[in-house]
Order: sequence, then structure tokens, then C-alpha cells
Amino acid sequence: MVIAQLVVNGVLLGGVLALSALGFNIIFGVMRVVNLAHGDFVVLSAVFCAVVFAQTNLNPLILLPLTGGAGFVLGALVHRYLLHRLPGEIASAEASSLTLTFGLSFLLAGAGLALFGGNYRSVPFLTGAYQLDGLSFPQARLLAFVAALALAVVLGLFLRFTAIGRAIRATSQNVEGALACGIDTDRVRTISFALGTAVATASGTLMSFIYNLNPQMGVLFTINAFAIVVIGGLGSYTGAVIGAIILGLAQSFSSYFAGATLSEAAPYILFILISLLLPSGLLGRRTA
Amino acid sequence: MRRILIIAIPIVAFLAVAPNRLNGYYLNLLYITVLYVGLAYGWNIISGYAGYFSFGQIAFFGIGAYATGLIVVNLQWHWILAALAGGLIACALSVPMGYVMLRLRGPFFAMGMFGLAQTSRVVITAIPATGGGSGLFLPPGSDLRSIYYWTLAVTLGAIALTMWIDRSAFGLRLQALREDEQVAGTLGIDVTLEKIYAFALSALIPGLLGGGYIWFLTYIEPDAAFSPRLDLQSVVMAILGGVGTVWGPLVGGVLMTQIAEALWARFPQIYLMIFGGLLVALLIVLPRGIVPALTSRIRRSV
Repeated sequence: MVIAQLVVNGVLLGGVLALSALGFNIIFGVMRVVNLAHGDFVVLSAVFCAVVFAQTNLNPLILLPLTGGAGFVLGALVHRYLLHRLPGEIASAEASSLTLTFGLSFLLAGAGLALFGGNYRSVPFLTGAYQLDGLSFPQARLLAFVAALALAVVLGLFLRFTAIGRAIRATSQNVEGALACGIDTDRVRTISFALGTAVATASGTLMSFIYNLNPQMGVLFTINAFAIVVIGGLGSYTGAVIGAIILGLAQSFSSYFAGATLSEAAPYILFILISLLLPSGLLGRRTA
Repeated sequence: MRRILIIAIPIVAFLAVAPNRLNGYYLNLLYITVLYVGLAYGWNIISGYAGYFSFGQIAFFGIGAYATGLIVVNLQWHWILAALAGGLIACALSVPMGYVMLRLRGPFFAMGMFGLAQTSRVVITAIPATGGGSGLFLPPGSDLRSIYYWTLAVTLGAIALTMWIDRSAFGLRLQALREDEQVAGTLGIDVTLEKIYAFALSALIPGLLGGGYIWFLTYIEPDAAFSPRLDLQSVVMAILGGVGTVWGPLVGGVLMTQIAEALWARFPQIYLMIFGGLLVALLIVLPRGIVPALTSRIRRSV
């Protein structure tokens, strides 16, 4: 029974992690940029929602359009005024975008600390749980899971059927080909970075239901998203969802079987193991 | 070479006699400056010359610090011997770690190293002998002057090592594998071995510095020994000065420590934010760093 409950917890967690990883994946797929500030966008949004909830008791789901929209604008600005201007001279273009997002991560974490303080916060609503066959489904996790899946489906449909979505996929498959078809790849990159950031902040709003967070914990979500995308294969969207469920299960089991102290290292160890053992992911290509 | 000596000898002589002249605050600042310059040189070997950007070399600073502390507390060695042993232990541990981690590349290596540093922190916290999260207090055994001389010796050693690497065949092999690892391999370079050498040197330097740092703090705790802030700072310093150059970490380290100390004293709450922002701005405004920008300007004007 314990095992079944751990599976339930892992899958519910995986759903939310999947949404966050999809944002990371869009940015990597289109731009080949590993966004080390990803988790800081997630956590900033979560802490913001918790602060608003504490002040006004406002259901954070109502804030989703706001956090997602703010993420979109911020992401567009970051790409247009920072990433886009990188001359790419230190060691390689990859190293300079990596270092830039590393700096951005500290910038965002520090800004969060200055704005909201270092306290751990969450949105304490829906504290009950549904019981089914002796398994418990915490309402908050269930809601976050359903909302995350709904957003992931909307995102999938957007990428599949809209003109911008097609342009994004074309650019991530073949930049020269996309250019030859008349796609403004610079604009697509800005939109992709904005979209990826919007997905990160939206997932942060959902994370605020289930995690106790402070502004300095962003790196955990970066490493989770990175690990998920590596499991699934960089650039593969189905792979990211599968990877998220696997990582959710791994975390739920490791926090049960390893002690509280050691399980703190679980995301890092999982990341290293996954990068070493699954260099091209379960389904997908790796072109880093 | 002669020109370098003409500049270097008075500076080293000044640094050697400085502790007799300076009062506490300035000696502190001088110590911190020399420490950061040393850390930046350590990072520069694996990340600058070999091109493997690491966001976790601080792991070896922490390991060196803890090894030194444990040796002193349990075996009552003299602190300099303990610090030397701490650095060697960090270097020895880096060989198997490097063998595994250097299979990763680019962002995987950078983030993997970050994870390795955090994992080391968690593991050390979980070992009872280290005092866990509350840390390890040291018996009195050193003073700021001796710590300063130790750190100065390590940092000067790191600079000499970098000067040697820059001119040696070893350095050329590292630069070859930085530019294209596969081509370097086909030219007969044993890339795995060369990377591990560079990684071990990049671990030895912070390991030795960590052994001195705990005497500066008089105790050691996991968050101070494995601080991501120190990692961020050494990366920023090397990039400001010029990645993969001999003098970049020195110029960047000296300048940035003064800025960092002024900021830390005045704006501790938004310190990380400013430093992160500074890194972002540097990459856009001065991506190659001060030293390459200056030397190319001088060459052009000659």
C-alpha cells in the first residue's frame, strides 16, 4: 500500500514538473540555450502567488494569466536585450549563454530575496484529500496536476496547429530550412524564450500549492527540469512528459527511503546519473 | 619575461612585507583579495584553458577545508601540514570524480559540477564527525598573518603554474581539446588524461586555499565551505579579467574583490542580485575580458 501511495504521489508531482520542463524544453529546442535561470522564474512566481494569497486570500488560479503574462514579457525582454546581444566570444557561444543565464539566476534569486524576503512560503488552500481504495489524493496536488496537464495540452495544441507554433517547431528542427521558408527566426527565438518563461512562471503558480518555497530555491527546479528533459531526450516533448513522471516517482521514492538530509541531494545525483547513463534520452536526439 | 619580473618583483615584495605595515581591516581585505584571485586561477585552468565551464569547483574548496579541519581536530597536526594534506586530499578525490564528470560536456558538465558541489555539501553534513549543519570548531592554532602568507604562497604558485601552462605543450594540448576535442583526439592527444590533469590542478588550488580559509573563519560549516557565492565570484572574476589568459584572473580578481567588498558592506541584501547583474552586463559589454581587450588595443596602436 505504501508503494501504491508513493506511486500516486510521484505521478501527481510528475505532472507539475512536466509543465515546468516543457518550458525549459522549448527554449532548448529552439535556441540550444540551457536556461539556468529557469527555476528562478518558477520560484519567483510561486513566492509571488503565496504573498498575494497571504494578503488577499485570492485563489492563485486566478493569478495564472497574470504570472504567465508577466513571464512572457520578462522572457521577451531577457532575450531581446540580453541573450540576443551576446557576442558569443568566450570559449564558445554555448558557454557564454550558459554563463549569462547563470548570472541571471543569481540576479532573479537576489531580486526575489529583496522583494519578498527569505521566508519559506506556500499557498495553504485545499488542504483536504480524497480517499479512494485506501489511497489518498491530496486536493492541492490533484488540482495542480490537472491544471498542469490542461496547460500542457493547450501548449501542445498551440505548437501543433498555429502558425507561430509551426514556426517554432520548424526553427528547432532546422534553422537554415526555416530561414529558407521565410520564417523570421530571430523573432521566433524571442517568442520561444518568452513562451518558455511564461510556461515556467505558470508552473510556478501551480508549484505554490504543493511546495514550501523561498526565493533561493530556484536552482532545484532548474536541475529538475534539466534532468527531465535529459531523460526524455533534449527537444522531445513526449519524452519530457515521460521523464517528468519518472523523476516524480524517483523523488517520491527516494524521499521515503533515504533520510530527509540525504534526499536533499537526490535531484543532483539523479541529474548526474541521468546525464551519464542516458546521453541521448529515452526517446529523442541530443545535439547539444 | 624580464618585463614581467620588473613589474612582479616590487609587487611581490610589497605583498610580503604588507602584514607588518597594515592594520586589521586592510590586512583582511588583502587576504580576501589574494584568496579570490587564487580561486579564479584555479577555475581558469579547467574552464579557461580546457574549456570545461564548471559551476562547482567550490566542491574542492569545501573538501580541502573539511579535510584540514578534521585532521587538526582528530590528529592534532600543525595547521600548515593539515592544510597541505587537505589540498592533496581534494586533489586526490578529484581524479575519480573527474574521470566520471569529464564524460559530460558543456551545460551537462557545468550543471553536473554544481550538483556535485551540492552533493558533497549534503554528504559532509550527514557525516557525524563533521559536526553536521552546526559545523566544526577549531582549536586556536593560527593567526591572520600566517593564513595570509599561506594563501599568498598558494596564489603565487597558481600564477606560476598558469604561466607555465600557457607556454607548455600541456597548455597547447588543453587548448587544442578546448577548440575541438575530437580533432585533438585524432592528433594523438590522450584527451581523457589531459582533462583529468587539468581538473586535478583546478581542484588542488581551491583545496589548498580552503585549508587556510577555515583558520580565517576559526570554524567551518557546510554553507560557508560550499558557498555558491564563492563559485559565482570566481567565475565573474575570471570572465572580467579574461578567460583562458595568464593575467585575466589577477586583474579581474583584484578589481572585483574591491567592488565586492564595498557592495557587501553597503548592500548585503541585494549583493547577490548586483553580482548576478554584473556578470550579465559583463558578458554583453566586455565578453572577452579586460586583458585581451587591452592587449589587442596595444598591439593595434604599435
